[in-house]
Parts: sequence; C-alpha cells; structure tokens
Amino acid sequence: MGMDPFTETAPSTDALTPAGSPGSISETGTTVVGVRTADTIVLAADRRASLGGRFVTNKRVDKIEQVHPAAALALSGAVGHIQAFARILTAESQLYRDRRGEEITIKGLATLASNVLRTRPLQVAPILGGVDAEGPRLYSLDGAGGRLADRYLASGSGMQLAYGVLEREFEEGLSRDAGQRIAAQAVTSAGERDTASGDGLTIATIFPDGVEFTEFDTPEGEA
Amino acid sequence: MQGPDQQAYDRGTTIFSPDGRLYQVEYAREAVKQGAPVVGVRGADATVLAAQVSARSSLVERSSVEKLSPVDGRTGIASAGHAADARRLIDLVRRRAQTERLRFDEAATAETLARAVADHIQESTQVGGTRPYGTALLIGGYDETPRLFETDPSGATHEWRATAAGRGARDIISFFEERYSHDLEDVEALELAVAGLLEPTGDLDPKAISAVTLGRQGYEPVDEGGIADALDAAS
Repeated sequence: MGMDPFTETAPSTDALTPAGSPGSISETGTTVVGVRTADTIVLAADRRASLGGRFVTNKRVDKIEQVHPAAALALSGAVGHIQAFARILTAESQLYRDRRGEEITIKGLATLASNVLRTRPLQVAPILGGVDAEGPRLYSLDGAGGRLADRYLASGSGMQLAYGVLEREFEEGLSRDAGQRIAAQAVTSAGERDTASGDGLTIATIFPDGVEFTEFDTPEGEA
Repeated sequence: MQGPDQQAYDRGTTIFSPDGRLYQVEYAREAVKQGAPVVGVRGADATVLAAQVSARSSLVERSSVEKLSPVDGRTGIASAGHAADARRLIDLVRRRAQTERLRFDEAATAETLARAVADHIQESTQVGGTRPYGTALLIGGYDETPRLFETDPSGATHEWRATAAGRGARDIISFFEERYSHDLEDVEALELAVAGLLEPTGDLDPKAISAVTLGRQGYEPVDEGGIADALDAAS
C-alpha cells in the first residue's frame, strides 16, 4: 500500500497565479510569521483566503497546523496544496513515532518536509517551527525543497510588510510574551495594506510538550 | 504432479491437495503454534493485549523483543510466530493507517486495518512464488467500543471477545471461555489476560510479560507495577 495520495496531476502554476481575472483556486494570499524566543517558537498567521487577493473566499482559515506534538506549520500557498502537505507531514511523523518509539527531531521533520516539497509539485511556502532537545528551531521551506534555518521569518504576500516589523522589533532571547506581541504586530501590520491578508489572527506558541493556539477574529486594537 | 504422495502438494502454496487443503498454510499455522503466546481480552471500556516476552538467553535485552506494537497511536498489534514475518505485516498496517488519514483525514478503525492486513496475507496463499506468513496477529483498538481481531496465516480474520495465539493458545482460549464476562473493568481485563498467559505454564516472571490497554486514550503500555499486580491477582 503506497503512501502517495497524488495520483492525479497537479494543477499548473498558471492556474494559481491568475493574470487579469480573479483566479479559480483559493489561495491563502497570506502573511505568516515565525519568531524564535528563549524557549519557544511563536508562529502567527492571518485568517483570510482569497481568489488572487481580489475576493475573500474565507475569513476563518486556520493557517497554522500542528503536525507533531511539538511542531507546527504556518502555511501560505494554494489551499489544497497546503492542506495536503500538512496531512503528509502529520502522517509521516506518526509513522516515525510508530516505527521508532520516539519523536522525529525538528531538523529531521524539516528535512523530511523539504524532501516532500522537492519531489512533489506543491505550491506552498511554509514556515516550520518546533521545539526538541536542541531547543526551539525555526525553518523556512520553499517549493523547490529549500530548507533555511533562521531566528525570525515571514512568508506570503504580506511578507515585506511583516519583515519591516520583525527587523525592527526582533532581538535574541525574547520572552514568550514579547515574541507573541512581535509576531502579532507583524501580521496585523501586513493586514493593514496587503489585500490578500487580514480577517484576524491565529497565534500558535510551541512548547517542548505541546502547541497552544489562540485565535482572534479581528486584529487586536480594532475589535 | 509426481505421484499420489502427499509430498507433491506441499511444494507450492497455491496447490490444493485432493482433500482440499493447502499444506503450506497448515505448516505456517504450526509455526504460529511454536511462537511465544499472546492474548487479547475485550473489556467494557478497553481491549487489553498481553504477551509473553521470552528471551533465548539471559543476555538478550528484553526490550528488543517485539511482541506488542503501536499503530497510529491508537491501535495495537500482538504477534505470535515468525517475528520477522510479523515485522513486515506490522509495517504494512502502520502505512495503511497513515494512508487512511491521507485519503480521508480520519483514523483507520481496527476493523479496517484487520481486513487490510488479512487481504494481504490471503494474497500470499494464492500468488505464485510466495510463501505464507508464519504469523498470527491480534489487532486491538477502540472504535466507539473496544475491538479485538485476529488474523491467521490463511488470511482469515475473526473478531473475538477474548482470544490467544501461539504456544498453548487452545488451552488459553478454553480458559477464557470459562472465565470471560462481557463487562470487565480495565484492571479485570488485564488480570484475565495475564491469567491466560499463566494458564499453560502456571508460573511467569513479571519481566517476561508485557501488556497494553487500548481504550479511548489510545495505545497505553501497562507499567511494571500494573503487570506485577495483575500477576499477583492471577496466581
């Protein structure tokens, strides 16, 4: 029994980046960020899904998926692709646990994720964060299988705006609260001007033994 | 065929004898009977799987003897017979469980997994060039209620309230037939399972027993204290 659910051909890249008209495939558009604090990883994401940033198809999207007891993905890209990608990582980390009786390391999970991306036509640009014996770890992944470790990261259509906040506010050894505040600021700031991002905020704080989610329906301050 | 003697019919798994038997499958069942016993007992809230973990020598690390295996964190497999064959089957079940999650985003039930592995085992009795698996599996899980399935080398699968496979299985099943009741608490189910393992030998080292419960919380190994208590209650 194979693991491969992708028997059908993937949609072409053209279909995902409509030129003149709103596309027919839901994209997250998205601003997602990750921040490494002293002992956790904080991931944050907006909650909007849209057709090419022109029409909002969903205002309550969960763009952060837990794929491991102490790791989560913040996802941007085509909705169908990111959902499939998250299912694959969840299944692979469970298989690792069944076979070896221990958890895959975050570096191992990131490498696995990059191998999946390199060998399948998935239009995604996720951020993977997790905590293991090595401490908090944060990686950006790209569609060609690139895997880059960093201390803070942003991805998606609002990434330039988010990076403006992160570059100014990030410092080493942040407290958990400060990390959450900076990540939230980065996402809400992007939502102000990026038409493909907005509709509130999800924050996931990753501890060595679990992931804590908090959702906000509207950006802080606007409610 | 080279003559009327029985020998000719056990050359291949796919050849029936004139009286309708598959000798290779029957030999595989003999291999199961020589394996250390495993038992399963379905309680009111959980299924318990227990195994006798016998080591060939005092120098063998018992933790390396695989008799009980987790699948998808919620299903458990106990195996008797050829350990190497069991590993193949267990990995097949693990992959199948994750395939189910990829396809439907839902957990595979113990029943689905038992059927899937049984289909694979059956194939080995009908396809040329293969040999049957010399392993019987007990598959325990919790799908709304506790479940317990058994597969044998023919690929047959049955659901049981309590059963055993491996050395002395027939005696253990008779013992369960006398003692089983349908409303066992988790601890009672564990005691009955351990008592079943004791049935053929009458005496066992607590270190030679491992057990798991499969209830709402999923696959939960029973700690040494729990096994020692169950052994005290059973003997």
